[in-house]
Amino acid sequence: MSINLRILLFIFSLFCFIITGVLLKKEKIPVKYSLVWILTATVILLVSVFPEFLYMVTKLLGFQTTSNMIIGIILCLLLTITVILTIIVSRQNKRITLLIQEVSLLKKGNK
Amino acid sequence: MKKILLIIPAYNEEENILKTYKKIISYNKKNGTDYHVIVINDGSKDKTGIILKTNNIPHINLIHNLGIGGAVQTGYKYALENNYDIAVQFDGDGQHDVSYVKKICDPIIEGQADMTIGSRFIDRSTSKFKSTKFRRLGINVISRVIKFKTKVKIYDTTSGFRAVNKDIITLFADKYPTEYPEPISTVETINNGYKVKEVPVKMLERIGGVSSITSWKTAYYMINVILSMLIIGKKVK
Repeated sequence: MSINLRILLFIFSLFCFIITGVLLKKEKIPVKYSLVWILTATVILLVSVFPEFLYMVTKLLGFQTTSNMIIGIILCLLLTITVILTIIVSRQNKRITLLIQEVSLLKKGNK
Repeated sequence: MKKILLIIPAYNEEENILKTYKKIISYNKKNGTDYHVIVINDGSKDKTGIILKTNNIPHINLIHNLGIGGAVQTGYKYALENNYDIAVQFDGDGQHDVSYVKKICDPIIEGQADMTIGSRFIDRSTSKFKSTKFRRLGINVISRVIKFKTKVKIYDTTSGFRAVNKDIITLFADKYPTEYPEPISTVETINNGYKVKEVPVKMLERIGGVSSITSWKTAYYMINVILSMLIIGKKVK
Protein backbone atom coordinates (compact mmCIF):
# COMPACT_ATOMS: atom_id res chain seq x y z
CA MET A 1 0.00 0.00 0.00
CA SER A 2 1.56 3.30 -1.07
CA ILE A 3 2.29 5.99 1.46
CA ASN A 4 -0.09 8.26 -0.49
CA LEU A 5 -3.01 5.88 0.04
CA ARG A 6 -2.16 5.59 3.72
CA ILE A 7 -2.17 9.35 4.14
CA LEU A 8 -5.45 9.54 2.24
CA LEU A 9 -7.05 6.88 4.45
CA PHE A 10 -5.74 8.64 7.56
CA ILE A 11 -7.29 11.95 6.49
CA PHE A 12 -10.48 10.16 5.52
CA SER A 13 -10.82 8.54 8.94
CA LEU A 14 -10.21 11.87 10.68
CA PHE A 15 -12.89 13.36 8.45
CA CYS A 16 -15.25 10.55 9.45
CA PHE A 17 -14.60 11.22 13.14
CA ILE A 18 -15.15 14.95 12.77
CA ILE A 19 -18.42 14.62 10.86
CA THR A 20 -19.78 12.01 13.25
CA GLY A 21 -18.72 14.17 16.19
CA VAL A 22 -20.40 17.26 14.80
CA LEU A 23 -23.61 15.35 14.02
CA LEU A 24 -23.63 13.93 17.54
CA LYS A 25 -22.92 17.29 19.12
CA LYS A 26 -25.76 18.94 17.20
CA GLU A 27 -27.98 15.99 18.12
CA LYS A 28 -28.70 15.27 14.47
CA ILE A 29 -28.10 11.56 15.10
CA PRO A 30 -28.41 9.46 18.26
CA VAL A 31 -25.36 7.67 19.66
CA LYS A 32 -26.59 4.26 18.53
CA TYR A 33 -26.53 5.27 14.85
CA SER A 34 -23.13 6.96 15.23
CA LEU A 35 -21.46 3.79 16.54
CA VAL A 36 -21.17 2.18 13.12
CA TRP A 37 -19.41 5.28 11.75
CA ILE A 38 -17.08 5.60 14.73
CA LEU A 39 -16.20 1.93 14.33
CA THR A 40 -15.58 2.39 10.59
CA ALA A 41 -13.40 5.41 11.19
CA THR A 42 -11.43 3.59 13.87
CA VAL A 43 -10.77 0.62 11.59
CA ILE A 44 -9.64 2.89 8.77
CA LEU A 45 -7.40 4.79 11.14
CA LEU A 46 -5.77 1.59 12.42
CA VAL A 47 -5.29 0.32 8.89
CA SER A 48 -3.58 3.50 7.74
CA VAL A 49 -1.19 3.45 10.71
CA PHE A 50 -0.51 -0.31 10.82
CA PRO A 51 -0.97 -1.66 7.28
CA GLU A 52 0.97 -4.93 7.88
CA PHE A 53 -2.09 -6.82 9.08
CA LEU A 54 -3.91 -5.74 5.93
CA TYR A 55 -1.26 -7.26 3.66
CA MET A 56 -1.84 -10.58 5.33
CA VAL A 57 -5.61 -10.43 4.87
CA THR A 58 -5.20 -9.39 1.24
CA LYS A 59 -3.16 -12.49 0.50
CA LEU A 60 -5.56 -14.66 2.45
CA LEU A 61 -8.66 -13.44 0.60
CA GLY A 62 -6.92 -13.55 -2.78
CA PHE A 63 -7.15 -9.87 -3.76
CA GLN A 64 -4.57 -8.58 -6.23
CA THR A 65 -3.80 -5.42 -4.30
CA THR A 66 -4.57 -4.07 -0.88
CA SER A 67 -6.36 -1.07 -2.34
CA ASN A 68 -8.74 -3.40 -4.18
CA MET A 69 -9.54 -5.14 -0.95
CA ILE A 70 -10.18 -1.87 0.86
CA ILE A 71 -12.66 -0.86 -1.83
CA GLY A 72 -14.29 -4.29 -1.64
CA ILE A 73 -14.66 -4.13 2.11
CA ILE A 74 -16.03 -0.60 2.05
CA LEU A 75 -18.54 -1.62 -0.64
CA CYS A 76 -19.78 -4.53 1.50
CA LEU A 77 -20.02 -2.29 4.53
CA LEU A 78 -22.02 0.35 2.66
CA LEU A 79 -24.39 -2.25 1.21
CA THR A 80 -25.00 -3.66 4.69
CA ILE A 81 -25.68 -0.22 6.10
CA THR A 82 -28.08 0.53 3.22
CA VAL A 83 -30.05 -2.65 3.86
CA ILE A 84 -30.26 -1.84 7.55
CA LEU A 85 -31.42 1.69 6.73
CA THR A 86 -34.11 0.28 4.40
CA ILE A 87 -35.34 -1.88 7.27
CA ILE A 88 -35.39 1.11 9.60
CA VAL A 89 -37.26 3.27 7.07
CA SER A 90 -39.85 0.54 6.51
CA ARG A 91 -40.40 0.22 10.23
CA GLN A 92 -40.77 3.98 10.59
CA ASN A 93 -43.28 3.92 7.71
CA LYS A 94 -45.43 1.38 9.53
CA ARG A 95 -45.32 3.40 12.71
CA ILE A 96 -46.21 6.64 10.93
CA THR A 97 -49.18 4.98 9.21
CA LEU A 98 -50.39 3.66 12.53
CA LEU A 99 -49.98 7.09 14.15
CA ILE A 100 -51.84 8.91 11.38
CA GLN A 101 -54.71 6.41 11.56
CA GLU A 102 -55.05 6.44 15.32
CA VAL A 103 -54.77 10.24 15.64
CA SER A 104 -57.32 10.70 12.85
CA LEU A 105 -59.70 8.24 14.53
CA LEU A 106 -59.26 10.06 17.85
CA LYS A 107 -59.95 13.42 16.24
CA LYS A 108 -63.14 12.01 14.72
CA GLY A 109 -64.22 10.70 18.15
CA ASN A 110 -64.03 14.13 19.74
CA LYS A 111 -66.40 15.78 17.31
CA MET B 1 -80.50 -6.79 11.83
CA LYS B 2 -76.82 -6.72 10.94
CA LYS B 3 -75.00 -3.44 11.34
CA ILE B 4 -73.55 -2.55 7.94
CA LEU B 5 -70.93 0.12 7.31
CA LEU B 6 -69.90 1.48 3.94
CA ILE B 7 -66.26 2.53 3.99
CA ILE B 8 -65.65 5.14 1.31
CA PRO B 9 -62.04 6.17 0.77
CA ALA B 10 -61.82 9.59 -0.85
CA TYR B 11 -58.84 11.39 -2.27
CA ASN B 12 -59.65 14.58 -4.16
CA GLU B 13 -63.23 13.52 -4.87
CA GLU B 14 -64.95 16.92 -4.61
CA GLU B 15 -66.92 16.27 -7.80
CA ASN B 16 -68.31 12.90 -6.77
CA ILE B 17 -68.43 12.47 -3.04
CA LEU B 18 -71.66 14.38 -2.37
CA LYS B 19 -73.50 12.63 -5.21
CA THR B 20 -72.32 9.26 -3.95
CA TYR B 21 -73.47 10.04 -0.42
CA LYS B 22 -76.87 11.35 -1.52
CA LYS B 23 -77.47 8.23 -3.59
CA ILE B 24 -76.81 6.04 -0.56
CA ILE B 25 -79.12 8.10 1.67
CA SER B 26 -81.97 8.08 -0.82
CA TYR B 27 -81.47 4.35 -1.35
CA ASN B 28 -81.74 3.86 2.42
CA LYS B 29 -85.01 5.83 2.49
CA LYS B 30 -86.53 3.99 -0.46
CA ASN B 31 -85.61 0.50 0.61
CA GLY B 32 -85.77 0.77 4.38
CA THR B 33 -82.13 -0.20 4.72
CA ASP B 34 -79.80 1.31 7.26
CA TYR B 35 -76.39 1.47 5.66
CA HIS B 36 -74.06 3.63 7.69
CA VAL B 37 -71.39 5.57 5.88
CA ILE B 38 -67.88 6.59 6.85
CA VAL B 39 -65.87 8.59 4.35
CA ILE B 40 -62.13 8.45 4.86
CA ASN B 41 -60.74 11.70 3.53
CA ASP B 42 -57.18 10.75 2.66
CA GLY B 43 -55.64 14.18 3.00
CA SER B 44 -57.42 15.56 -0.07
CA LYS B 45 -55.99 18.78 -1.44
CA ASP B 46 -59.26 19.94 -3.03
CA LYS B 47 -62.57 20.85 -1.40
CA THR B 48 -63.46 17.28 -0.38
CA GLY B 49 -62.92 18.08 3.31
CA ILE B 50 -65.13 21.17 3.22
CA ILE B 51 -67.88 19.34 1.32
CA LEU B 52 -67.83 16.54 3.88
CA LYS B 53 -68.10 19.01 6.75
CA THR B 54 -70.77 21.35 5.37
CA ASN B 55 -73.01 18.46 4.29
CA ASN B 56 -72.63 16.63 7.60
CA ILE B 57 -71.35 13.49 5.95
CA PRO B 58 -69.83 11.16 8.57
CA HIS B 59 -66.13 11.22 7.88
CA ILE B 60 -62.62 10.86 9.21
CA ASN B 61 -60.02 13.33 8.02
CA LEU B 62 -56.65 11.64 7.86
CA ILE B 63 -54.15 14.19 9.11
CA HIS B 64 -51.82 13.19 6.30
CA ASN B 65 -52.22 11.35 3.01
CA LEU B 66 -51.72 7.59 3.48
CA GLY B 67 -52.71 6.11 0.13
CA ILE B 68 -55.65 3.83 -0.55
CA GLY B 69 -54.57 0.93 1.69
CA GLY B 70 -53.93 3.05 4.75
CA ALA B 71 -57.18 4.95 4.22
CA VAL B 72 -59.32 1.84 3.86
CA GLN B 73 -57.66 0.26 6.87
CA THR B 74 -58.67 3.30 8.93
CA GLY B 75 -62.25 2.47 7.90
CA TYR B 76 -61.83 -1.10 9.12
CA LYS B 77 -60.46 0.17 12.42
CA TYR B 78 -63.49 2.42 12.74
CA ALA B 79 -65.78 -0.53 11.92
CA LEU B 80 -64.10 -2.63 14.60
CA GLU B 81 -64.31 0.11 17.24
CA ASN B 82 -67.99 0.68 16.51
CA ASN B 83 -68.87 -2.97 16.43
CA TYR B 84 -70.11 -3.31 12.88
CA ASP B 85 -71.05 -6.79 11.65
CA ILE B 86 -70.27 -6.14 8.00
CA ALA B 87 -67.98 -3.61 6.37
CA VAL B 88 -68.38 -2.80 2.69
CA GLN B 89 -65.65 -1.09 0.76
CA PHE B 90 -67.29 1.35 -1.61
CA ASP B 91 -65.72 3.79 -4.05
CA GLY B 92 -66.45 7.48 -3.71
CA ASP B 93 -66.07 8.17 -7.41
CA GLY B 94 -69.44 6.85 -8.55
CA GLN B 95 -68.20 3.55 -10.00
CA HIS B 96 -70.08 1.44 -7.51
CA ASP B 97 -73.85 1.12 -7.39
CA VAL B 98 -75.40 1.13 -3.93
CA SER B 99 -78.23 -1.16 -5.07
CA TYR B 100 -75.68 -3.99 -5.26
CA VAL B 101 -74.63 -3.64 -1.64
CA LYS B 102 -77.44 -5.99 -0.60
CA LYS B 103 -76.29 -8.51 -3.17
CA ILE B 104 -72.72 -8.63 -1.91
CA CYS B 105 -73.78 -8.62 1.76
CA ASP B 106 -76.31 -11.46 1.49
CA PRO B 107 -73.78 -14.33 1.15
CA ILE B 108 -72.06 -13.04 4.30
CA ILE B 109 -75.31 -12.73 6.26
CA GLU B 110 -76.26 -16.26 5.18
CA GLY B 111 -72.83 -17.50 6.24
CA GLN B 112 -71.83 -18.66 2.75
CA ALA B 113 -68.70 -16.54 2.71
CA ASP B 114 -66.47 -14.43 4.94
CA MET B 115 -65.62 -12.01 2.19
CA THR B 116 -67.40 -11.19 -1.05
CA ILE B 117 -66.00 -9.38 -4.05
CA GLY B 118 -68.25 -7.47 -6.40
CA SER B 119 -67.13 -8.76 -9.76
CA ARG B 120 -67.48 -7.32 -13.24
CA PHE B 121 -66.41 -10.49 -14.95
CA ILE B 122 -68.22 -13.57 -13.72
CA ASP B 123 -71.53 -12.74 -15.34
CA ARG B 124 -71.03 -11.18 -18.75
CA SER B 125 -74.46 -9.62 -18.95
CA THR B 126 -74.29 -7.54 -15.78
CA SER B 127 -71.68 -4.96 -16.55
CA LYS B 128 -71.11 -2.93 -19.68
CA PHE B 129 -68.12 -1.24 -18.16
CA LYS B 130 -65.36 -3.80 -17.99
CA SER B 131 -62.30 -1.55 -18.05
CA THR B 132 -59.75 -1.29 -20.87
CA LYS B 133 -58.19 -4.25 -22.67
CA PHE B 134 -54.77 -3.61 -21.20
CA ARG B 135 -56.06 -3.48 -17.67
CA ARG B 136 -58.16 -6.60 -18.21
CA LEU B 137 -54.99 -8.39 -19.22
CA GLY B 138 -53.34 -7.29 -15.98
CA ILE B 139 -56.35 -8.39 -13.95
CA ASN B 140 -56.19 -11.75 -15.71
CA VAL B 141 -52.52 -12.27 -14.88
CA ILE B 142 -53.17 -11.43 -11.23
CA SER B 143 -56.08 -13.86 -11.31
CA ARG B 144 -53.75 -16.65 -12.47
CA VAL B 145 -51.24 -15.87 -9.74
CA ILE B 146 -54.00 -16.00 -7.11
CA LYS B 147 -55.18 -19.33 -8.53
CA PHE B 148 -51.60 -20.64 -8.41
CA LYS B 149 -51.09 -19.43 -4.88
CA THR B 150 -54.43 -20.32 -3.30
CA LYS B 151 -56.15 -22.76 -5.71
CA VAL B 152 -59.11 -20.38 -5.72
CA LYS B 153 -60.24 -18.68 -8.92
CA ILE B 154 -60.97 -15.00 -8.48
CA TYR B 155 -61.95 -13.20 -11.66
CA ASP B 156 -62.16 -9.51 -10.80
CA THR B 157 -58.99 -9.28 -8.77
CA THR B 158 -58.73 -5.51 -8.51
CA SER B 159 -62.36 -4.81 -7.70
CA GLY B 160 -62.60 -2.33 -4.83
CA PHE B 161 -66.23 -3.27 -4.20
CA ARG B 162 -66.16 -5.86 -1.44
CA ALA B 163 -67.82 -6.84 1.79
CA VAL B 164 -66.33 -8.59 4.79
CA ASN B 165 -67.63 -10.05 8.04
CA LYS B 166 -66.53 -9.27 11.57
CA ASP B 167 -63.64 -11.76 11.63
CA ILE B 168 -62.09 -10.16 8.61
CA ILE B 169 -62.79 -6.64 9.90
CA THR B 170 -60.67 -7.63 12.89
CA LEU B 171 -58.00 -9.11 10.62
CA PHE B 172 -57.86 -6.06 8.34
CA ALA B 173 -57.89 -3.58 11.23
CA ASP B 174 -54.72 -5.25 12.45
CA LYS B 175 -53.02 -5.93 9.13
CA TYR B 176 -53.78 -4.53 5.73
CA PRO B 177 -51.45 -3.96 2.77
CA THR B 178 -50.70 -0.29 2.26
CA GLU B 179 -50.11 -0.41 -1.48
CA TYR B 180 -52.32 -2.07 -4.09
CA PRO B 181 -54.36 -3.68 -1.34
CA GLU B 182 -57.14 -5.51 -3.20
CA PRO B 183 -55.39 -8.54 -4.72
CA ILE B 184 -52.91 -8.84 -1.86
CA SER B 185 -55.55 -8.76 0.86
CA THR B 186 -57.60 -11.32 -1.11
CA VAL B 187 -54.68 -13.77 -1.04
CA GLU B 188 -54.09 -13.07 2.65
CA THR B 189 -57.74 -13.70 3.44
CA ILE B 190 -57.88 -17.03 1.58
CA ASN B 191 -54.53 -18.03 3.07
CA ASN B 192 -55.92 -17.50 6.55
CA GLY B 193 -58.60 -20.05 5.81
CA TYR B 194 -61.51 -17.70 5.12
CA LYS B 195 -64.03 -18.24 2.38
CA VAL B 196 -64.09 -15.70 -0.44
CA LYS B 197 -66.94 -15.51 -2.92
CA GLU B 198 -67.38 -13.43 -6.04
CA VAL B 199 -70.73 -11.84 -6.75
CA PRO B 200 -71.62 -10.37 -10.14
CA VAL B 201 -72.25 -6.62 -10.03
CA LYS B 202 -72.59 -3.83 -12.50
CA MET B 203 -70.05 -1.05 -12.34
CA LEU B 204 -70.35 2.36 -13.89
CA GLU B 205 -67.72 4.50 -15.47
CA ARG B 206 -66.27 7.22 -13.33
CA ILE B 207 -68.41 10.33 -13.18
CA GLY B 208 -65.41 12.59 -12.77
CA GLY B 209 -61.91 12.77 -11.36
CA VAL B 210 -58.99 10.58 -12.27
CA SER B 211 -58.47 6.90 -11.48
CA SER B 212 -55.67 6.22 -9.06
CA ILE B 213 -53.98 3.75 -11.42
CA THR B 214 -52.38 5.42 -14.43
CA SER B 215 -51.03 3.48 -17.40
CA TRP B 216 -47.33 4.19 -16.99
CA LYS B 217 -47.45 2.86 -13.48
CA THR B 218 -49.02 -0.42 -14.59
CA ALA B 219 -45.77 -2.35 -15.05
CA TYR B 220 -44.51 -1.29 -11.64
CA TYR B 221 -47.91 -2.15 -10.22
CA MET B 222 -47.88 -5.64 -11.72
CA ILE B 223 -44.39 -6.52 -10.51
CA ASN B 224 -45.17 -5.22 -7.06
CA VAL B 225 -48.50 -7.03 -6.73
CA ILE B 226 -47.31 -10.37 -8.08
CA LEU B 227 -44.23 -10.41 -5.88
CA SER B 228 -46.24 -9.38 -2.82
CA MET B 229 -48.75 -12.15 -3.43
CA LEU B 230 -46.09 -14.78 -3.91
CA ILE B 231 -44.27 -14.05 -0.67
CA ILE B 232 -47.38 -14.19 1.52
CA GLY B 233 -46.97 -17.14 3.84
CA LYS B 234 -49.41 -19.15 5.84
CA LYS B 235 -50.32 -17.50 9.09
CA VAL B 236 -48.06 -18.60 11.91
CA LYS B 237 -50.24 -19.28 14.90
